Amino acid sequence: MAQEEIEIEIAPNGQVTVRTIGIKGPVCMDYADLFAQIIGREEHREKTAEYYETAEQQVQRHVDVKQRR
Amino acid sequence: MSSVVVVTPLIVAGWPVITAAVTAAIGSLGFSVVKGAEAPATIANTAKTNTRAEVDVEDSEVLQEAASAGSELVVERDGVRVIFSRDLRGALKLCVEGEGHSKAELKRIGEELLGRVTQQYVYHRVVSELQERNMTIVDEQVAADRTVKIRVRNL
Repeated sequence: MAQEEIEIEIAPNGQVTVRTIGIKGPVCMDYADLFAQIIGREEHREKTAEYYETAEQQVQRHVDVKQRR
Repeated sequence: MSSVVVVTPLIVAGWPVITAAVTAAIGSLGFSVVKGAEAPATIANTAKTNTRAEVDVEDSEVLQEAASAGSELVVERDGVRVIFSRDLRGALKLCVEGEGHSKAELKRIGEELLGRVTQQYVYHRVVSELQERNMTIVDEQVAADRTVKIRVRNL
């Protein structure tokens, strides 16, 4: 199973791109929401193929993310 | 990858945080700090002969309690001065002035500098949030185009 990561790119003009890596299912959107809230105003969002996959831990991760907020 | 989100930063901070971001950002563009809050009189005199451009930072708020009325920070490079201040609406504002430069050129310089300041602000905001949430930065790089890349685990 791929390592779960978040990759954050901060461009020289200040624009930020957040990529979730190895996080399957809709829970990845919780992380995307979290960073959008921290940083500013969301301009664009794209779901990749992995978004539509499922994982057993998906529900537990969702709970964890909510608890961290 | 699972998702990609592009976010435009909002700068909402007290004057000390903004000053720290400016100070951290200016070195990479060759600017240095001239003066702090006591600079306005000097700037007003030099502005008479210089071309001047203003850059309003719409997505910003300099928090009132942290900024005195005269808060300004002046940085300079090769005769071009950039004055960071809080405007009447409470937003961050840059005035760029210098002899021998067109207004458009000064505006471009100001916007480039503002980008770097925003980058520094976002970097510190993100890192402090990650620490608060016990997330681990496993890799951090600065690309040739000066994009900062951070990889995070322990989600």
